[in-house]
Amino acid sequence: MTAPAPRPTADRVLTVDDLRVSFGTRTGVARVVNGISYHVDRGETLAIVGESGSGKSVSALSLLQLLPTPPARVEGIATFDGRDLLSLSEGGIRAIRGNRVAMIFQDPMTSLNPVRTIGRQLMEPIELHLGLRGDAARGRAIDLLQTVGIPSPERRIDDYPHQFSGGMRQRVMIAIGISCEPDLLIADEATTALDVTTQAQIVEEMESLQSRLGMALVWITHDLGVVAGIADRVMVLYGGRIMEEAAVSELYAQRRHPYTRGLLESLPTPGVDRPHRLTAIPGLPPNPSRMPPGCPFEPRCPHAVERCATERPQYRSPVPGHRVACHFEPEELYG
Amino acid sequence: MTGFVLRRIGQMAIALFGVSIVVFALIHFVPGDPVRIALGTRFDPEIYATLRERAGLNEPILIQYWNWLFAAIRGDLGVSFRSGQPVTAIVLQRLPATITLAGAALAIALLVSLPLGILSALRSGSRLDYVATTASQIGVSVPDFWAGIMYILLFSLTLSWLPPSGYSPFSQDPLGWLSHLLLPAMTVGLISGSILFRFVRSAVLEALNQDYVRTARAKGLSQLAVVRDHVLPNAWIPIVTVVGLQLGFLLGGVVVVELIFAWPGLGRLALLAVEDRDFTVLQGTVLYIAFIFLIINLLVDIIYGWLDPRIRYD
Amino acid sequence: MTDRASQRTLDAGEPPVEHRSRLRTTFETVRRNRLAVIGGVVLTALAVVALFADAIAPYTINEVDVANRLAPPSTTYPFGTDELGRDVFSRVIIASRVSLRVGFIAVGLALVIGVPIGLIAGYFGRTIDSILMRAMDVLFSFPAILLAIAILAALGSGITNAMLAIGIVYTPIFARITRGSVLSVRESVFVTAARSLGATDARIIRTHILPNVLAPIIVQASLSLAFAILAEAALSFLGLGVQPPAPAWGRMLNEAQGFLASAPWMAIFPGVAILLTVMAFNFLGDGLRDALDPQQRSVIESRGITA
Repeated sequence: MTAPAPRPTADRVLTVDDLRVSFGTRTGVARVVNGISYHVDRGETLAIVGESGSGKSVSALSLLQLLPTPPARVEGIATFDGRDLLSLSEGGIRAIRGNRVAMIFQDPMTSLNPVRTIGRQLMEPIELHLGLRGDAARGRAIDLLQTVGIPSPERRIDDYPHQFSGGMRQRVMIAIGISCEPDLLIADEATTALDVTTQAQIVEEMESLQSRLGMALVWITHDLGVVAGIADRVMVLYGGRIMEEAAVSELYAQRRHPYTRGLLESLPTPGVDRPHRLTAIPGLPPNPSRMPPGCPFEPRCPHAVERCATERPQYRSPVPGHRVACHFEPEELYG
Repeated sequence: MTGFVLRRIGQMAIALFGVSIVVFALIHFVPGDPVRIALGTRFDPEIYATLRERAGLNEPILIQYWNWLFAAIRGDLGVSFRSGQPVTAIVLQRLPATITLAGAALAIALLVSLPLGILSALRSGSRLDYVATTASQIGVSVPDFWAGIMYILLFSLTLSWLPPSGYSPFSQDPLGWLSHLLLPAMTVGLISGSILFRFVRSAVLEALNQDYVRTARAKGLSQLAVVRDHVLPNAWIPIVTVVGLQLGFLLGGVVVVELIFAWPGLGRLALLAVEDRDFTVLQGTVLYIAFIFLIINLLVDIIYGWLDPRIRYD
Repeated sequence: MTDRASQRTLDAGEPPVEHRSRLRTTFETVRRNRLAVIGGVVLTALAVVALFADAIAPYTINEVDVANRLAPPSTTYPFGTDELGRDVFSRVIIASRVSLRVGFIAVGLALVIGVPIGLIAGYFGRTIDSILMRAMDVLFSFPAILLAIAILAALGSGITNAMLAIGIVYTPIFARITRGSVLSVRESVFVTAARSLGATDARIIRTHILPNVLAPIIVQASLSLAFAILAEAALSFLGLGVQPPAPAWGRMLNEAQGFLASAPWMAIFPGVAILLTVMAFNFLGDGLRDALDPQQRSVIESRGITA
């Protein structure tokens, strides 16, 4: 059992500083995360939005040292409770995982061990980090199942994952995630594999859990629709870099980065009278093995000029708390 | 679970039925007259007629099959053309030797393949993995009869450590029993171990790459706990299946090895029966071996169902 | 051991590769596999040897040199001589023909019978599937070598019957693999689409299903070849396969048993020949499998015929 450490008192739960992750592949070095820096505060929800391959999942996995380090190479600093998560020893990071910083994943069917009861899987972190055993552990597990909305938890605790529906399984995953009342919960595409109704339910539950436990929540997704409901701040990732970061209301209202604009415009809008085509962003995401020196979005940006391909844009801050990685001011782009 | 078991037993019964047809058909595919061939130069019209009568060869074929089948179910597999002894007795007399050999070979195979397979998967890409994998690729390709001969050459003829053949019962001479068992068991066991090694390794590797392992790690579990509680319980399932299959093969497939080491088992019995054209003995032996094989497959299926809760609740 | 999440992330980030024929990519992947290449080279050498055996072998199979019987390897007789003074080297070379021939024909037979059975069973399903697969199960109920021995006992020894016996023993596995592939492809979208366009069953099988089941069949074929050769050796070891005077590796081993103490080379070299051949097929088969269909686990079932 890992010794219970004192809760961090600072409001800033996590500070990530110039995180870089690259992989050595047969065809060269793939730079998946290229220098991202951000922070998360207690009680707030940060949404990390990006397409597949934007580096959002990899960056999260690297925080808990869950990437196999050959072939992965992680650089940068991730400060949690005064310590750098990325340089902790094996024992050190294990004390944090599932305990102070928890992570839940996308596909609950494959993310849960099919040959172990969900009760046993739920009790693992409880026994490990909280030192509870036997009935005490079981009792807490049942409480947790109740909290996440699983009916008849005292019966279902001895069931196997395949006996649950997709939504239920994801609730179990959430229960596992919050079992030790972490300071930070990272949800990697937690609702992507679920149908829309269940998605909405889960999001609602997460919100209430968060306010109850006072956790910081990092919500990773490619679905902008979900983001609006749950996030306080949004970070848009592309090509392993942050393109834009802003409070939710700011982002949806202002949309200064061309990529964000493209994303928002490609969402189907309900309630529009005449049928219209969805505007997709033309082109494909960049190949991490061949990252361009300039702005990664340049090949697909309708406003790109020569400078964009060669020079990496700095962050501009039109308003405090809102930054955009672009060479141009929005007025210059959109008139 | 009971429904599952019953269904499997039903399937086995059907397969056994099919097997019985095949085995029965063997004797009737023989060109010529089996009894005449078996008697060969010792042909005597009276004995010939009696044997034919006893073997029921004068009746129409379907009746013959029926009679044969029912007799077989009751345990009566006819008599040997050669010696006149009841086939069942002959088979049962040889059975323990084959089981011993198969068991010992499997033990060696497991001893070699399980630890090496698991370690190689956990340390995939390491030197140990490379050496073990290459060794297994050679092991899988080795002809068992040649391996046996080579072992005899090395351990018996050159080093004189172990006897080259024969069998001595455990009750009379335990040490002698072991020394006679070792070479044949090793011959088959190492080859079987190579096959199993590859399988164990791939099963563990596959389990290691599953998402639930990532979840387990994200909970803060140690590598030991992850392997013990999440990887191995999932890897067992395919491994058990293969072990079961191997055991089945071992029981009937050690034919050639039994011959080389003069091991008095079922395989050797079958071969001698082929030489002697003693078809009832051949039939009986093959039937018994197939039956045991099917039972083992049944047991493997049941264990599989027990290990994997998803199948159970099917 | 790559984390699946990172692997998936990596894969998603790649732009589409320029279109290359599947054959070419397979070839490339196999070429990079060192062992598979070695296997391929050895097999080519073996094929050459087998084809030109008569020309390569320094002596004919019946040439005896009684004065030099049981002679150890030397420059005149690289593998030594046997009890009749025959050159082991030449016999090993000429016997390669038999092994390869029996192996290929037996596997060919198994393919020709097994694949259609699997196709029909998988495609038409239900009763036909049940019946066919039960029949295959029956064949699977026997340890392979025992079945082969039993068949040869009934039909008599000889090279043709050996091919037949081995072929029959390997039919079920081809049937099963084909059926498995068909099942996984049958419900896919493009088949449903073809069907909705009115394509006949035969046409669907030919144009859509067959190309997709080809990969596992090819892999299985190469692995089965390895073990078919082992099987042939085992059968001729038992005296049930090729008959004298044609030399066969297995039978040479059998004859060598009696002279193990005095002339071990009689046993060593034919065995090594078998080992190398089987290994080569195995390496190639493994390489093909890694390139074409990494999900397959066919070694276990293939090996069944000996041990």
